[in-house]
Amino acid sequence: MLQPKRVKYRKTHKGHRRGRAQAGNRVDFGDFGLQALESAWVSSRQIEAARRAITHYIRRGGNVWVRIFPDKPVTKKPAETRMGGGKGPPDHWVAVVKPGRMLFEMGGVSEAVARGAMRLASHKLPINTRFVFRETGIAVGSDSATGELTQGEG
Amino acid sequence: MEGLTLQASKRDILGKKTRFLRRQGITPTHLFGHGLESLALQCDTPKLQRTIAQAGMTRLIALDIEGDKQPRSVFIREIQRNECTGELLHIDFYQVRKAEKIRVDVPVVLVGEAPAMKEKGRILTHSLTSLSIECLPDKLPPQIEVDLSQLEEVGQAIYIRDIAFSPDITVITDTDQMVVKVSEARVEVEEVVAEEVVAEAEVPAEEVEEKPEQGPTD
Repeated sequence: MLQPKRVKYRKTHKGHRRGRAQAGNRVDFGDFGLQALESAWVSSRQIEAARRAITHYIRRGGNVWVRIFPDKPVTKKPAETRMGGGKGPPDHWVAVVKPGRMLFEMGGVSEAVARGAMRLASHKLPINTRFVFRETGIAVGSDSATGELTQGEG
Repeated sequence: MEGLTLQASKRDILGKKTRFLRRQGITPTHLFGHGLESLALQCDTPKLQRTIAQAGMTRLIALDIEGDKQPRSVFIREIQRNECTGELLHIDFYQVRKAEKIRVDVPVVLVGEAPAMKEKGRILTHSLTSLSIECLPDKLPPQIEVDLSQLEEVGQAIYIRDIAFSPDITVITDTDQMVVKVSEARVEVEEVVAEEVVAEAEVPAEEVEEKPEQGPTD
């Protein structure tokens, strides 16, 4: 599962999840993407489960890009422990996701396959998502244009 | 494509108040160009969306500004959208001079079928989706088409230098860059790994956590 190789500080504050994703909100690598519509902490297990669902669905062929990385440690106190005594030990890692963030991208597959794979992946995630296309800037008025100009809703 | 026209009018509402315009179905736009004074404009959103779909960012549009005698030749330079809803927020138009060369990013479109892709377990990687070129506005191609029929074997690739361009066009992007490649798909080996304990090496084991200080007092 994904986790940082080393960190400067073992424990972090909870922080706030205000606003929308200011970066990583476009399809940059592949042709299709899965975009977050809500904010959440997505754990490394959820990311791995979603990634496996995608790769299993597309079998051989196609590329998958994971656009989020769980770099925030979440701590938890051991079971049946009294309150106090300081913050608990790190338990798992999460990625902070805000609305608009591109979670996964796919390329080299048909739209139908990408849609199916992303639908399965979305079931493994704790947030609402949508299927989007790359914004190509291709003129639909041209003779052989095939791409989508705008981000389409899935 | 000839005859792409768009109506626009001058805009007095600037800054944060433009959100009231968007609610009325009007999108704030901006016009600028080399050596020209920039203009704040506004367009009808449904008509603007139709024009964007038809013109993309590589077709000339005749922008008819209210009060002007002649329409201006413009390209769409930037499209700003709400990344969650896809709603149009703002458009930049770039006014061109017919005799002055411009630099534009033109989308690369794959056409035809690669013979190498007929067998299973192969991936077509489209690594370059747009190309920076310089040419006169009239000579600007709406897109650059790359024929895949020359990809006959695995490992074969098409580079920018392999594409035939019109002599009017100067390619700015490095010509050694790869556009598309056929490769073998990697087979993912499903690993059955025991659950990793978070923070093993990099996060030293937690010190003795807690000691029961006192027994229940009641």
